Amino acid sequence: MNNSRKDIYKNIDAYIKGTLEPGQIDALWMEFAKNPDLLDQLELEVGIKQILKESKKRKNPASVHTLPNWVWHASAAAVVLLVALVQLFGVETPTQLQDFLVANIPNEQLETATGIRSKEVMITSADSLLNLGFAALSAGDNEKALELFSEVIFFYNEEPYASKAYLNKGIIKYNDGAYDEAITNFEEVAERAKDNRMISEKAYWYLGNAYVNVGELEKALFAVGEAYKRDGIFRKPAFVLYQKLNYDLGNIDLEDAEGTSSDQ
Amino acid sequence: MDYSKFVTAIINNDEESLKEHYTVLTKVLVKFLLVRLDAGIEDAKDSAQNAIMFGVEKIKNQELKQPDYIIHYLFTTAKNDYLKHQNKQKESNYEEVPEHYAEEGDQLENILKEERQSILTRCFDKLNSKQFNYISYWFDNPGSETALVADHFGISINNAWIKKHRIIQVLKECFEKNINK
Repeated sequence: MNNSRKDIYKNIDAYIKGTLEPGQIDALWMEFAKNPDLLDQLELEVGIKQILKESKKRKNPASVHTLPNWVWHASAAAVVLLVALVQLFGVETPTQLQDFLVANIPNEQLETATGIRSKEVMITSADSLLNLGFAALSAGDNEKALELFSEVIFFYNEEPYASKAYLNKGIIKYNDGAYDEAITNFEEVAERAKDNRMISEKAYWYLGNAYVNVGELEKALFAVGEAYKRDGIFRKPAFVLYQKLNYDLGNIDLEDAEGTSSDQ
Repeated sequence: MDYSKFVTAIINNDEESLKEHYTVLTKVLVKFLLVRLDAGIEDAKDSAQNAIMFGVEKIKNQELKQPDYIIHYLFTTAKNDYLKHQNKQKESNYEEVPEHYAEEGDQLENILKEERQSILTRCFDKLNSKQFNYISYWFDNPGSETALVADHFGISINNAWIKKHRIIQVLKECFEKNINK
């Protein structure tokens, strides 16, 4: 990224418009840390957008129309009819599995050096390599990042470093569309990080996504279910994808959709 | 912010300089957590302070020197500290599931403060009609390329950026004048 002010202002504009890639957002925050006055610029522009949004709302208040009772009755009848048609004729749901998948895993999901508590002040070489890998990936050098994560696995084949490195390799492969390789890496993490709820949740969640991408829906169902069980930050998307997979695999009982999941 | 001066201040235990750096770093890290992780302000302050404390220890032990690594370390540690804290809270209150997860978009409006926003609104109302129309078009059409904005107003792309920048500057000057009153 060119660090001139002009380019940074353009990136701030793109950030507000929601058109920056995750890596570019990370890089922009690095710039904010170096030049904190840029955060005032961000605040100002977000503020302007907010003012315009609110003034639009005031100009066009949502109008409330009361519908006659027969419209509600007709709508209810239509819904009942639609559900009956779906059940009787196996009408396909309009949603696609792809709609529930992670298209691109953001860099912030990479595992780096552990947040150190006061009694554990030593940063290890493995931590440093993980951080260097993160920096390489943020700079767009995927090959270098893969090399560094492989070094962690080769030289520091112990936990939590190796599982973090495998996870990061899996993320890079996933974002490259190399789902088979991503699966190999995520499976390794799931096996190694059994006792680490956060890392294993992440591994199972992305493993499930990767399996869907290669059409292995049964395996995806298992992995997503494991992610859901860990009850962490991916609980909600895992629940939704789990239900969708069940539905597409013909496992779901439409009358007890919630009940199926609560057995997890 | 000059991170090499921050390192020097830590090594020399220069309290005055350290205080200045802490203030700036806390501001950056708090905003980072508010925007990127949708954190509450108090949690963000706690995690920002923890991250700085850990960072200072690392610098004292000469484990962190380079500015980019220091920044990266502070962001990562603040994020991890916040997420760990959230996870702990969730464990102690099992029913409470966070409404968001990491892949939701950044919550940029979290950096706005009511008092500052009301000053900005007053400044915004002082824009002349040309400035108002231009900046409204710019922000009301978020999907538009700058080329489309330039085309709409019959100016070059470069001038479109310059024009936007000038209006932002007008607002900025008005805002700074009023915030210091």
